[in-house]
Amino acid sequence: MKIILDILSDGLFAAMAAMGFGSISNPPMRAFPYIAILAATGHAARYCLMTFGGVDIVSASLVAAFIIGTGSVFFGKKVFCPMTVLYIPALLPMVPGTYAYKTVFSLIMFFHGISSPTKGSEYLQEMIFNGAVSFSVLFMLAVGATVPVFLLRERANSMARGSKFI
Amino acid sequence: MTKEYVSEIAAFIARYLSHMLGAGVHTSRVVRNSKRIGTALGVEVSVHTSQKTATLTVREKDGRNMDTMVVDIPAFPISFEWNADLSALSWAAFDRKMTLDEIRSRFDELAAKPGMNPVFVLFMVSLANASFCRLFGGDIWAMLITFTATMIGFFTRQHLTRKKVNHYIVFIVSAFVASICASTALALGIETAEIALATSVLYLVPGVPLINGLIDITDGHIQIGISRLVNALMLIVCIAIGLSLTLILVKDSLL
Repeated sequence: MKIILDILSDGLFAAMAAMGFGSISNPPMRAFPYIAILAATGHAARYCLMTFGGVDIVSASLVAAFIIGTGSVFFGKKVFCPMTVLYIPALLPMVPGTYAYKTVFSLIMFFHGISSPTKGSEYLQEMIFNGAVSFSVLFMLAVGATVPVFLLRERANSMARGSKFI
Repeated sequence: MTKEYVSEIAAFIARYLSHMLGAGVHTSRVVRNSKRIGTALGVEVSVHTSQKTATLTVREKDGRNMDTMVVDIPAFPISFEWNADLSALSWAAFDRKMTLDEIRSRFDELAAKPGMNPVFVLFMVSLANASFCRLFGGDIWAMLITFTATMIGFFTRQHLTRKKVNHYIVFIVSAFVASICASTALALGIETAEIALATSVLYLVPGVPLINGLIDITDGHIQIGISRLVNALMLIVCIAIGLSLTLILVKDSLL
């Protein structure tokens, strides 16, 4: 019971984060419900994989992004939005922001401890760790969500065709 | 088809393309849509894009008239609404065989649509960052502090952006303001204060350009993809600078 509640609340908060961060980029109002559904499913899937399946963050992000990308093919046709309008906001809660700025922090701390041979290399190691994680997660997010486009070229590129919203 | 008509088409497609690229649409879609409008009007369109300018050539099908121009890409705020509407416009032009004048007036209407209410965006972003704090394991007090800190930080960002301050400075200042507000959590002795402090700046992370850059790279538009990534990377460095100022003030250490 506790587990189900955890998964549901993870999905709920991810959906709120996606709608909020998405709203900075001015998405059409009709897309919001689908952004929320996609973000909740994707993030909850990643949470399950990481907590119960013991999968690492990079592979889990790939799976989550693939789910979001596939979902956006089906929802996109409904609201006449190109896939990116739905899946980019849905991916935003998974963008590795903390890893990214920690990479810069490790670099600054490396300058700070440059005279001490042990400390300097420790920070350098940390920088490579954080940088590698953030780049790989980001890369997997983009690739995972784009794979459905490659598989369904025709369908994926004509989402906005016949839109009644213009 | 006269030479003047071809030039007119080129001028319109140049405007269409610069609006889409400026509003953060990934390159392959922009190129595809421009070619589609060209096909609808009976011309062939070839586009070369880079970060700040684009070059396009419009050539009459089975004719000798052509026109080439270089356009500047203005820095519009990112807009998914333009992405959806202008893509739909290209399909409408193609399917309904619209004339150039019809397409142009429809384009002007779509581009003039007002964006989202800034107060609504402010509220949504604060809510989003508070949810984010929860996803990282913060408790209800940490969420409340993140909500307030984000609201003040994002308000600063909106205000400075309206004043047309350089966007690197905007990012440094907003990251500093948001994190210094969140650092009250440390003073209040909240258990998950560290999480509130770490997530308070995450609303600034340029997620859309980062993902767009990688989409461009996977589509084969490698140069513009790398430009977008580097641009976003500069902003992340600015966030880190703003946050590190706070951390040095309140904790005297970064990690």
